[in-house]
Amino acid sequence: MITALGFRLSAFAAIGSVLLAACGKQTSATADSAGSVAQVRGASIAFPRSGSADEWPMPGGDYSNSRYSELAQITPANATRLRAAWTFSTGVLRGHEGQPLVVDKTMYLVTPYPNVSYAIDLTTEGQPLKWKFRPENAQAAQGLACCDVVNRGASLANGALFYNLLDGHTVAVDAATGVQRWKTQMGDLQRGETITMAPIVAKGKVLVGSSGGEMGVRGWIAALDAASGKQLWRAYNLGPDKDVKAGTRFKPFYSQDRGTDIAMTSWPGESWKIGGGAAWGWFSYDPDLNLVFYGTSNPGPWNVAHRTGDNKWSASILARDVDTGELVWAFQVTPHDMWDYDAVNENILVNLPFDGAPRKVMVHFDRNGFAYTIDRATGQVLLAKPYVPMNWSTGVDLATGRPNVNPEKRTNAAPKVKNICPSLEGGKNQQPAAFSPATGWFYVPTNNLCMDWESREVSYIAGTPYIGASAPEMGGPGGYKGEFIAWDATTGRKAWGIKEPYPVWGGALATAGGVVFYGTLDGWFKAVDAINGKVLWKFKVGSGVVGNPVTYKGPDGKQYVAVYSGIGGDMGLLIAGDVAANLPYDVRERGSTLPELAKWTSWGGMLFVFSLDEK
Amino acid sequence: MSQHRTAFGVVSFTLCVALVGFSTQNASRATQDAARARDTTKFVVHGDHIRPGGIALRDSTAMRNPFEGDKNAIELGSKLFISYNCVDCHGADGSGAMGPALMDGRWHFGGSAAEVYESIAQGRPDGMPAWGGLLDKNSIWRLVSYVRSLEKGKDVATENFTGKTVERTGH
Repeated sequence: MITALGFRLSAFAAIGSVLLAACGKQTSATADSAGSVAQVRGASIAFPRSGSADEWPMPGGDYSNSRYSELAQITPANATRLRAAWTFSTGVLRGHEGQPLVVDKTMYLVTPYPNVSYAIDLTTEGQPLKWKFRPENAQAAQGLACCDVVNRGASLANGALFYNLLDGHTVAVDAATGVQRWKTQMGDLQRGETITMAPIVAKGKVLVGSSGGEMGVRGWIAALDAASGKQLWRAYNLGPDKDVKAGTRFKPFYSQDRGTDIAMTSWPGESWKIGGGAAWGWFSYDPDLNLVFYGTSNPGPWNVAHRTGDNKWSASILARDVDTGELVWAFQVTPHDMWDYDAVNENILVNLPFDGAPRKVMVHFDRNGFAYTIDRATGQVLLAKPYVPMNWSTGVDLATGRPNVNPEKRTNAAPKVKNICPSLEGGKNQQPAAFSPATGWFYVPTNNLCMDWESREVSYIAGTPYIGASAPEMGGPGGYKGEFIAWDATTGRKAWGIKEPYPVWGGALATAGGVVFYGTLDGWFKAVDAINGKVLWKFKVGSGVVGNPVTYKGPDGKQYVAVYSGIGGDMGLLIAGDVAANLPYDVRERGSTLPELAKWTSWGGMLFVFSLDEK
Repeated sequence: MSQHRTAFGVVSFTLCVALVGFSTQNASRATQDAARARDTTKFVVHGDHIRPGGIALRDSTAMRNPFEGDKNAIELGSKLFISYNCVDCHGADGSGAMGPALMDGRWHFGGSAAEVYESIAQGRPDGMPAWGGLLDKNSIWRLVSYVRSLEKGKDVATENFTGKTVERTGH
């Protein structure tokens, strides 16, 4: 009986594979089937964390954004014994992107707007608060955030918690007392500038970047003195070389990225002043090269009729000197973006064997559907392969780094362009991937969505959206809308994948125990075998997961895994059907993209913490 | 109700007696305040106003949309809705996006013509811009006409996952 059932399942799987292969042909984006991709030997995190593996002191766990922990108590052999250890309500019911931090036996949380922070004492049963900090935070900011009032977390350094407020301020809060040390206004709400990203702290500098790519902002990043909050430098992503800080040290790898004032001359007229190119994603830091790496958002408006040219440095990856802000290299991932393919996704700093030799690279899973392996010293693209179904491009030309665009999928090819893949949510969005040096693979939460596109006229009015298009979305080929995959960045091949009914909007965590963790939009938190993708354990949390799991060792010596539950963000809030039923969002046009999601989850705002039970 | 009014009258009378000893300057300010209180254009009557002491806003007058019932105003309003970027916040047909939906009958600040006018002209604290500085009154009224035409009914039903829609019974 069991055998017969097993056979039937295999038969189904085989039919499924054939169907998927057929779909793969039409999209031109295929990944290898599971089992044929070898683990990558000799791969390493470029800059593993210097502190204790028991803690989680910064958003990505380390400067490399690896989201990898050396903790190994939880293994494929015992993961079925995972249980909820304790929970905590943040008191906010909006999208909980980001992750908690753990330093010195204390856990630190930051909520979505109004950006309350909590310090939780891990040494005492019942996890009492050490403090709660409620910042002043302009109410109007809520109406200027494009994609829910999210916050992607804090960094802890120099005895302070550093994070950004939605209304455009950066704050430092004393980690011991919860008293505000300083608060600096960085963004201008009147021009639609909010801040949602998680800062990192390098060499005593707090590095922050702006949001507002849908509001006609002019994106920037800045460094603040961690001790005083004073701004040390600010560099714009668009505009003349002086503002962009492109001087004698600026050496882009590709010839099309060179030229005086190219971030101004690649725009018509003065459109660069309202051209977007914000920096709302994850920052990485290379202490050897003394560079901070980050990506920039889409150019604005979405309607390309307003902005001929490459529109640099929108949809680009930039490398800047941490001390001066000087631009050292830049690579435009999607020149003249017309699909809302921001390049803000994380750059994971690793050393990989490449063509037989170790290579210092960054790996970047772009919204445009290509996974890039890039030399992080020069910005040279070593490899770019599709990691999700796509049809807007036939591939990236490694001689120029430019994608070859399918002319039919240009958003100005017709008044209404049908079926562009991936959708504007990208092959992956803010949800960060993780890297394990044990397997040498990347663990990537992905979306499988396509869209139609219709541009319309738009005029710039400060403090209002500057978009000029509508783009209804639908599921991509294959009958699934998300997949959690393991990726070999030396060959550009998928090792295995777990198909999900919804876009995987939460981040990944990899551990030395050989277990990888992620959460889903429909509210499952899963532990997966890093080698074969087998789901070892899952737990239904109170609300969909759009946050990123972290792991730490408690004062009792046990390994814990913590993750936010609280659906929201662009996918959760804007498309979640009835999920936001108490907000007036449930009749929106795009509710049809994820019509059944509201059946499986509802809005929430909880921290869940798991550990192995004692048996 | 009349008893309440009587009681209020007594309180007012007492207050006036107390004011007699004040300077003429204060008295004239009291007169100005009284005049201001009768300035009917400043008030919008909200259906769910709480009336402290059971007393209604006696002198207020409901603002009226001069284009009430004018289909042309709805058409012009729909164009303004796009050209002033309302559409990118509130979604196509008011389906909701960055800002709240306008079609579901759930109004944060009231759905009468005067209330919608007030929301557009003065803005709202959660990020609705105050358009009174940029748009003239007639443009705002045309937007009011359009926005109110989007409403599909009071408290549009939510899904119940049985394939049927049901009346919303509260949150």
